[in-house]
Amino acid sequence: MEEEKKARVQVAVAARKRKGYTPVTPDMQLGFVHNNVDCIGCRACEIACKDKNGLPPGPRFRRVMYVEGGKFPEVFAYKVNMSCNHCAEPACLPTCPTGAIFKRTKDGIVDIDSSLCIGCRRCEAACPFGAPQFDPISNTVMKCNLCVDEIDAGRKPYCVMGCMMRVLDVGPIDKIRDGSYATKAVGPGERVVRQVRNMANPELTNPSIAFVAHPKGKVEG
Amino acid sequence: MDAKTILGNALNVSRRDVLQGAAGTAATAAAGASLFRAVEPREAKAFAYSPYPTDDELVTVPTSCAHNCGSRHMLVAHKKGDVIVRLSTDDGRYQGPQGGFGYDTEEMPQLRACLRGRSYRSRLYSAERLLYPMIRVGERGEGKFKRASWDAALDFIAGKMQDLKQKYGPHALLDQSYAGASYGVLHKSDQIEGLLGRFLGMYGCRTSSWSVPSYQATTFSSRMTFGTIEDGNEDDTFAHSKLIIMWGWNPAYTFHGGNTFYYMRLAKQRGCRFVLIDPQYSDSASAYDAWWIPIRPATDAAMMAGMAFHIFTNGLQDQDFINRFTQGMDPGTMPQWAQGQESFKDYILGTRDGQPKTPEWASAICGVPATDIVKLADLYARTKPAALKASWAPGRNSNGEQYNRMAAALQAMTGNIGKLGGCAEGVGKAWHAEGIAYPYDEFSNVWYASIKSDRWAHLVLNYPNLKREEIGLWPRSDNLDGVIPNVRGIFWQGSNWFNQLPNINKQIEAMKKLDLVVCNDATITPSGLYADVLFPVATHFERHDVALPWYKGHYYIHRPKVIQPLGESKTDFQIYTELAHRLGFGERYNPRASREYFHYDDAVDEAYLSAWWEKVQHHQGADISWEEFKARGTYKFKLPRLHVAFQDQIEKGVPFQTPSGKIEILSTQLAQVTDWTRTAWGHPIPAIPKWTEPFESLNHTEKRAEHPFHLITPHARWRTHSIFNNIPWLRETYEQEVTINAADAATLGIKTGDTVEVYNARGRMVLPAYVTERVMPGVVVVHEGAWLDLDGDGVDRAGNPDVLTLDEPSPAGGFAYNTILVNLRKTDLNHRPGWDQLATSRAHVFRRST
Ligand code: SF4
Ligand code: SF4
Ligand code: SF4
Repeated sequence: MEEEKKARVQVAVAARKRKGYTPVTPDMQLGFVHNNVDCIGCRACEIACKDKNGLPPGPRFRRVMYVEGGKFPEVFAYKVNMSCNHCAEPACLPTCPTGAIFKRTKDGIVDIDSSLCIGCRRCEAACPFGAPQFDPISNTVMKCNLCVDEIDAGRKPYCVMGCMMRVLDVGPIDKIRDGSYATKAVGPGERVVRQVRNMANPELTNPSIAFVAHPKGKVEG
Repeated sequence: MDAKTILGNALNVSRRDVLQGAAGTAATAAAGASLFRAVEPREAKAFAYSPYPTDDELVTVPTSCAHNCGSRHMLVAHKKGDVIVRLSTDDGRYQGPQGGFGYDTEEMPQLRACLRGRSYRSRLYSAERLLYPMIRVGERGEGKFKRASWDAALDFIAGKMQDLKQKYGPHALLDQSYAGASYGVLHKSDQIEGLLGRFLGMYGCRTSSWSVPSYQATTFSSRMTFGTIEDGNEDDTFAHSKLIIMWGWNPAYTFHGGNTFYYMRLAKQRGCRFVLIDPQYSDSASAYDAWWIPIRPATDAAMMAGMAFHIFTNGLQDQDFINRFTQGMDPGTMPQWAQGQESFKDYILGTRDGQPKTPEWASAICGVPATDIVKLADLYARTKPAALKASWAPGRNSNGEQYNRMAAALQAMTGNIGKLGGCAEGVGKAWHAEGIAYPYDEFSNVWYASIKSDRWAHLVLNYPNLKREEIGLWPRSDNLDGVIPNVRGIFWQGSNWFNQLPNINKQIEAMKKLDLVVCNDATITPSGLYADVLFPVATHFERHDVALPWYKGHYYIHRPKVIQPLGESKTDFQIYTELAHRLGFGERYNPRASREYFHYDDAVDEAYLSAWWEKVQHHQGADISWEEFKARGTYKFKLPRLHVAFQDQIEKGVPFQTPSGKIEILSTQLAQVTDWTRTAWGHPIPAIPKWTEPFESLNHTEKRAEHPFHLITPHARWRTHSIFNNIPWLRETYEQEVTINAADAATLGIKTGDTVEVYNARGRMVLPAYVTERVMPGVVVVHEGAWLDLDGDGVDRAGNPDVLTLDEPSPAGGFAYNTILVNLRKTDLNHRPGWDQLATSRAHVFRRST
């Protein structure tokens, strides 16, 4: 198997050099929406993902980040939940020397063909959001693939279907942003934003994610 | 393949490995041909990490989780052959005709499993799994065992049981069964309604343990005040409150009811306001945008008394409600037999003891500004309906029962009982499930002595030189009353008691004195290390049962045998049945089974369960057959109205289940006790709720000289008590740490991530610090349930706070898990979280960003 992989990778690297990289504009872009305030930080979504993908300790495709601040007793806390943002302009993709990373035309999902991944970790370094996760056991980088198998079966990803508070959802990102997508993640009267504090600048990759921000997590403008 | 390899493979199933067994040969043969074809990234079968079995290629089996949290959720197993490949949860498809993928309504929400439920596969296939009977070969506690045959292990135990009973009488064996990992209608471990209790009781040798660690003080309060622990509303009612006061309650951590936290989100969207009274600003406070009132631990009853003072003196109470439904709230509601005695209002106003319980008086004790006490009392009295959810944690204190009794008084004086959107909890058990499928008869709870659970070590170490009130001996009406039991052996079922009871070091001493320790469990645990015999128990994936929500929720979930039991594991029921046969009462113990049951349990379990379902059909009106229930996987009841405790009492005048038929603020039973030593409580308890000084607290200046911090030990969200502590997925998600206020940490020179020692006179433990503004100064927090891991000097490296707790219960039996003074210092000693950190993912960079 190792030999086969080597040969495949060689061919892929050559093809990658020959063809270069043409950005993919998907027919429709799927993305996530997460409510930073109503999320209880239970991480059921994270464990659902670990189990779905059979991950060992270490790599975490989905990361519920805890943010807290203030001075006792005037404190605040909220959660920012991110996996891979299946960015419109993925920073990871062009860095891959074997062309293992690809973006689906159908729905904009960014995925890695692990049979071509050589574990060089360049994508990990390039991604502003910490999405690619290195697994030292298989010596490959893996990441959220938006549960493509579930998407193709007409269902939603494991993390979304596992969210105890119904604050994490998936859908066409344009519709999520303009409020025309019916989702329990966004409560009555709430609006979504592209960026919250502690998050890398969305201009870098145009990530397909929207948040209901905590008042303290709002970014000016 | 031996069982360990099967386990290893099953757990480490990586995307690419899973089908290798089947597809490997073909792939190798075709390798040459494929070399120059697949240069494009593969989208084959829509999954780049192929071969990967999608859910639809696997066999789907709905089931549920089974551990002892306050909830019960669905798990859906996706298996290949006899291996569970992954688990998902309720997605709306399993609830009959109106269901379908995505079906999730307020009336019938999905039962989505929490992180612990989602991690069950790694518990099932963990390296800690017990697969064969084991007999101890080293010293007790040393952890050296050798594999034994079932025959040898069972004979050994049966022989020992006969010896001990003959030599020491009917008290010799202590039942320490608890609902840990075995909660179902058939395969049940429980203190009162469990398989072990029935087994030892029928054998004629059983000392029982009567107090429940999580909520004994609360149980006492609910029983005294309302005459029942079923004082709870169903979780959907929370969506109808205008104000929810979370008193020591963190529903983001402890899932009380399948969807309580979600219904509270709906309440928030409908304009409900939230308040949190807690030394910590919890995730519940942030998610519900609550007004946080930090309070000194173990002083809650004082603050409540201050609120009652404000309500009474401003005439904000619901006097009509008080007059109609309460006993002893004020002089006008005192019963005939207690005329002239102190009523609750007398106590609050200080008419007898000369001390009005003013907000200022309360403030000096609890540390909450008097203005905030007034503001909250006002808010609570004026907002209708309002739910004061008096949770269990503040009851886990010395005199914790006074907190729960005081809360019930507030709930009653504001007329928030029996009304939608109000709350009378307390214990909070709501809808009454049909709970028992195993033989339940006059032998089900036979005992010859019953002691407070946390006093067993004290008993064993001091026998026979101790008084009955020291161990909370339950009274009997025969000649065994008052006899101090000579406990010589312990049976554990479904629990890791030893790890969870207070003052572990004292328990270790007591352990050495025993003649027999038997442990039934699916995995090795710190308790198991102290056993003489380990019986490997099949998990709930490996036996047939039905899951029920024990706390809130009106549904059942079918639990088929998803896979065959791993190794040689058997169910508890099989083990006790076979032991009973060897001791001569097997047919009576398990009347539906023959001796063959030890090897063939399917038909017998099916017979018990289908008979149980008939009861469900008759008593509860389930309108589908057993066969259909099995096919569907769940049955969710539609109740005629939202279930609110005591609604009939308030609306239809049905009497409460107390001696007076009223809400007993003045308890008839307590008021009539003359000799407290002859009660199970052993010590006096006031008949009306009263602030009572705890053993120790931040107000004990002398004790604080040496131990300046108050440690509280709440339930973790990533464990159910101690269950799941061995799961690497959960350990990387949350750390066992001591949470400390930033100002305190600065004084001690402690930073987040520093390894610190937390200690007092009873023990020492080592764990990392987490420094935050989210906990009040003077208070430190360590979650209970980490697996004890002692070094040679008796220092616990895992961070199990029960090396520091006191085994001195509150009079009503409440465990004082939250009444502990400690000190902290930086240390060079090592913390051992229990797993090797294989990789530091980038995720860690984000874990604690501020
Ligand atoms: S989040 Fe990172 S890994 Fe995911 S598509 Fe964007 S750049 Fe690539
Ligand atoms: S979409 Fe799937 S792979 Fe991505 S984070 Fe969610 S569960 Fe994990
Ligand atoms: S499951 Fe939902 S509520 Fe829980 S951490 Fe994930 S997004 Fe938040």
